[in-house]
Amino acid sequence: MAVENLGAKSGPLVSVLIPSYNRSEYLHTALASVVRQDYSNIEIIVIRDGGDPIDGVVRHFNDPRIIFIDRDDNRGKGFTLNEGLARAAGKYICYLDNDDLYYRHHVCTLVNALENETDCLVAYTDLYRTYCRIEYDGTREVLSKVVEVSRDFDRFVMLYFNHALHVSLMHRRDLVEKIGPYNEQLNVLIDWDLTRKLCFFTDFYHVNEVTGEYYSPVGESDRVSVRRRKDANDYLRNVLRIRTTRPAKPWPKINDVSIICVGRKLNQQIAGTLASIWRHTFYPYKVYLPLSQADLARLDVGMPNVATVAVEAGASPSECVDAALAGCEGEYTVVVPDGFEIREFWLEDSLYGLIESPGRREGFELEDSTDKLWAVVLETDDLRDARRRFPRASVRESLNAAGIKVRRVQPAEIPFQFDQLLCQSETAGRDGNWAQAGLMLEDIAGRYGNELWMKYRAAEAYFKAGEFDKACELVRQINGKKPTVDSLLLEARLKRREKNFRPAIVLLEEAERMLEGKELVWT
Amino acid sequence: MDMIHSNISEQENTTQRYEVLRELGDCYASVGSCEQAQRCYEKAALLGPDEADPYVGLGVVALEQGLLDDAEIAFRVACRLDSASSKAYAGLAMVAQERSDYKQSFDMYLRCLELDTDNLTALLGLFQTSCKMGSFAQVIHYLEVYLDMHPGDGSVMFSLAALYVKEGRLAEAETLLRDVLTLNPDNVDAADLLEEVEHGLAGQRQAGE
Repeated sequence: MAVENLGAKSGPLVSVLIPSYNRSEYLHTALASVVRQDYSNIEIIVIRDGGDPIDGVVRHFNDPRIIFIDRDDNRGKGFTLNEGLARAAGKYICYLDNDDLYYRHHVCTLVNALENETDCLVAYTDLYRTYCRIEYDGTREVLSKVVEVSRDFDRFVMLYFNHALHVSLMHRRDLVEKIGPYNEQLNVLIDWDLTRKLCFFTDFYHVNEVTGEYYSPVGESDRVSVRRRKDANDYLRNVLRIRTTRPAKPWPKINDVSIICVGRKLNQQIAGTLASIWRHTFYPYKVYLPLSQADLARLDVGMPNVATVAVEAGASPSECVDAALAGCEGEYTVVVPDGFEIREFWLEDSLYGLIESPGRREGFELEDSTDKLWAVVLETDDLRDARRRFPRASVRESLNAAGIKVRRVQPAEIPFQFDQLLCQSETAGRDGNWAQAGLMLEDIAGRYGNELWMKYRAAEAYFKAGEFDKACELVRQINGKKPTVDSLLLEARLKRREKNFRPAIVLLEEAERMLEGKELVWT
Repeated sequence: MDMIHSNISEQENTTQRYEVLRELGDCYASVGSCEQAQRCYEKAALLGPDEADPYVGLGVVALEQGLLDDAEIAFRVACRLDSASSKAYAGLAMVAQERSDYKQSFDMYLRCLELDTDNLTALLGLFQTSCKMGSFAQVIHYLEVYLDMHPGDGSVMFSLAALYVKEGRLAEAETLLRDVLTLNPDNVDAADLLEEVEHGLAGQRQAGE
């Protein structure tokens, strides 16, 4: 089905959820941007979560596709979105905050992608972050429109933190049955909670096109989520709650990890190790804790995803592992002694190599592992095989005897290569080595995707380095495909440098049109 | 919107529209579209109320149109917003020069060159006003500084040589004019002046004998 045909009523129904709490002065624009979509088979569920009255704004549109839930009490965004999901009947769901907006082709682009271009059950586009100044009368003076992140889907990153904007997202409604509702206990990062859970069940399809805007008032933001982030402890509690969420299995896209935490007995050290695992592990996991009955009786685990396993008092470490291993659900198992240093990426740095090269009968000794505090991650089947064949040997000896190679991870095998290189290029830029930064960014574009985003940044770096020909070549490629305000401005500057004022004017006028958003002015 | 850190500062991101309008204003001004340039500069000034550049642009556009009072006001606003704006002082100098107020013009060109010895417009303006006023010591200094930075600039070399002649520094003028002619053997003005200088030097030598 072509994009043009999707405007017809015959396309699948899409439910657009618009939660609204205060900021009602912007709702009109937001709602208008949905009502005027090129794609018409939509239902628009506006949910007032207390705050400013908005019935007048909603009534103004007199559109039968609008379902209005008008509630006086403020129950939070999670509750509100769940209310909307419960009413939604569309095959697909998408979201819009009451101060953001879609371009006319937003819904059509995403439906077309999900229906025709991919087997993914989730798709997302790019959005402009629109920095604006709030005038005395409440109107927004646009200062800039920037695509700050245009990132191809990366599950590992998504587990660590969000990289797909909620407003840019469309997903199948039936996924909600698998991922469960929004977590109403969260008061921040609700978006990421959803995207993280979604990536247990599907890949995401990235449509490299700007289809809307989200607003950022300069200076002090009035967004609830920004205000709430300022409480660091509360923020961390939310992060940990999200990272420890395990949707109901089966998980078609994620292999579970079982962490067997081996300690002689219940003491402060093992409690500290458990707390550190909780704090520093972002990959989905469940901890198995083998302890004697006496210790289990006095155990008070204050963290989620811990399963206790009863062992004989004085059981050896390998007996503890064997007892826990019998119940491990994960496709991967980590064996870690209490007292092992748990820091950020302690597990994921080694686990990533295992995930990327499955079935090689190979394990990875964790980076901070020593002979005294030896820790390993490997496929659970390999560990079971080794223990079955060599039950009397220590875990390490049994793996060796079973021919399972255990090695350290190589630098090229650790996750977040893209992010690390990006970080290095930024450092090079900060040090004034813009030419080097440009080279690095071009290399990243070639090897790690995110092509247009990286090419733009490379062009910008070359411009700062005075390598104008290189900058020009790259920015022309970008503007030939998906121009943005920034890329048009950069090419115009290059033209102006060559004293080609007329072509520069054409580019700058186009940039100004984008900034003014004349096509976005709805009545 | 909860997103992974993008490493871009807010400050860096809030000037984009201002920059588009300022660049657009400069481009329109360069092709002589004064009204459109003015529209862009005015909008840019609203978006960047603390920035001097849009007012410099407005001053230049007014100057192009012969609106000297408007130009002066715009350049003065630019100076107030950025006391180190060499372009604003150059603008004020040009306004004064248009009004034949050479003293004021000379002072403003000097202020401009104190801030930016590389400003060729100011340098040539200073040269012109110096000629009108018959005072060359300071302009010689700035021309020498400029030539240290741009050793092959024939027009400045010729201007400096002319001033050396006026100051009676014929030997220095001779060297400079020979350099000009090495760079451009077809420079008739330089050849004529060199002939004059050589004649003068010969006269001095004869007088010395």
